[in-house]
Amino acid sequence: MKGLLVKDFKLIKEQKNFFFIIIAITASTVAFSDDTSFILGFLPFVLSMFTLSTISYDEFDNGNAFLFTLPISRTGYTIEKYCLALMLGISALVFATFLAIISSMLKGTADVLEIVMAAVIVLPVLIVIQAVMIPFHLKFGGEKGRLALIGVFGMFFIIIAATVKAAEMLGIDIQDITSHLPVASMGMMVTIMLVVAFIILLLSMRISNSIMNNKEF
Amino acid sequence: MLKIEHLKKHYGNFSLDCSLEVQQGCVTGLVGQNGAGKSTTFKAVLGLVSADGGSVTVLGKDLQNFTPEDREDLGIVLSDSGFSGYLTARDIIPVLKNMYRHFDYQFFLEQIQKFQLPLDKRIKDFSTGMKNKLKVIVAISHNAKLLMLDEPTAGLDVIARDELLEMLREFMEQDEERSILISSHISSDLETLCDDIYMIDNGQVVLHEDTDVLLGSYALLKVNKEQYRKLDKQFIVCSKKESYGYSCLTNQKQYYIENYPAIAIEKGAIDEVITMMIRGQKS
Repeated sequence: MKGLLVKDFKLIKEQKNFFFIIIAITASTVAFSDDTSFILGFLPFVLSMFTLSTISYDEFDNGNAFLFTLPISRTGYTIEKYCLALMLGISALVFATFLAIISSMLKGTADVLEIVMAAVIVLPVLIVIQAVMIPFHLKFGGEKGRLALIGVFGMFFIIIAATVKAAEMLGIDIQDITSHLPVASMGMMVTIMLVVAFIILLLSMRISNSIMNNKEF
Repeated sequence: MLKIEHLKKHYGNFSLDCSLEVQQGCVTGLVGQNGAGKSTTFKAVLGLVSADGGSVTVLGKDLQNFTPEDREDLGIVLSDSGFSGYLTARDIIPVLKNMYRHFDYQFFLEQIQKFQLPLDKRIKDFSTGMKNKLKVIVAISHNAKLLMLDEPTAGLDVIARDELLEMLREFMEQDEERSILISSHISSDLETLCDDIYMIDNGQVVLHEDTDVLLGSYALLKVNKEQYRKLDKQFIVCSKKESYGYSCLTNQKQYYIENYPAIAIEKGAIDEVITMMIRGQKS
């Protein structure tokens, strides 16, 4: 797996211009905006996308055929992609959190606990998004995978919007409930979210593994 | 080293049913036209496509039980696939180092220098010859026991082809237990390398012969209609109608030299044998 990770980091290095643009957007957001929570979502999600680009690079020019003659298994390949996505996502989240804390301390805008809480909530969402994106990309490839993902996220937002609307019609204020949750309940909610996210991730890995094992090159 | 028994794969109108064996210390050639089933055979043996039947034993192990560690003993070149074109030769060094326990870094670098391949140029910008040389260098630089090379000489000029074949000869000289399965649709470059040759057509093995026998005992007889009528056909493998009469492929050249001195006999080259086996009528 180490060999595959090395290969993927070499491929990511090829996209250093894109990487610098992301860093520039992050830096300018930190410098010119008081809303530091934006980078907590932006940086981890965008950097996780590099995992998908490595899948596209692997597929390009039928490269997968040669890749699977090397001493790796298809299951090993699948696990490596998830590890890469988590490594990129989590390290970007940690980096973004530090950046947001430093920026807010310098500006005196937000308190550290609020940023850490926001980061902790981003983590399970990040894991779920990765869990959805990777199997789609493995199954449908770069172009079709993106289209399928847009469809899935579209459905996801419609469901969320419909839930919020339904709650509104029933007179339930979701924002009010979450903002009035005691810290202990908040901790419990985040724990539950993380557990659910990891279960979804494991399910996703199973699906991806079966996709890869059924592929012909 | 490699034993394939009735390996089957069906794609629409195409059906593969291939059996062949690569002996230890031997170079075995697989020749055939484009689309004859060479690449499908390689891909099925390597588990890249699922076989519809038959059995494959690689290095004494059933393909189903072949582990990633076992794959370290194989050196593979595929005609239509390789490392990502966005990587450089320098990039793939640490990849190979981390994948193969016996990767020989010094040897790899020496070969890269010997064949003047650029270390920092993207592989996609390499010429066809450079790409193929790099593929072969990767295959031979981790002490593999069996090389499986699918069309490594395709698209190469004569000099690049010779250099590549020389690389393979050196690989074989270093260890008597090593073996190679090499495919090509240009058979002349295999005549000097292979110990035995399998000929595949339309998914079926139509001929298996030692290269020495193929070059020494096979010949083309060019006869007119009258000569053809009188010809003893017991050693004629197949024949084809021509404007002057018939051309006949024999696997007993000496018999016809001795008994039919008036007949024009051409030494059999593998390309001619292939043409006859594919286009000719079996006797």
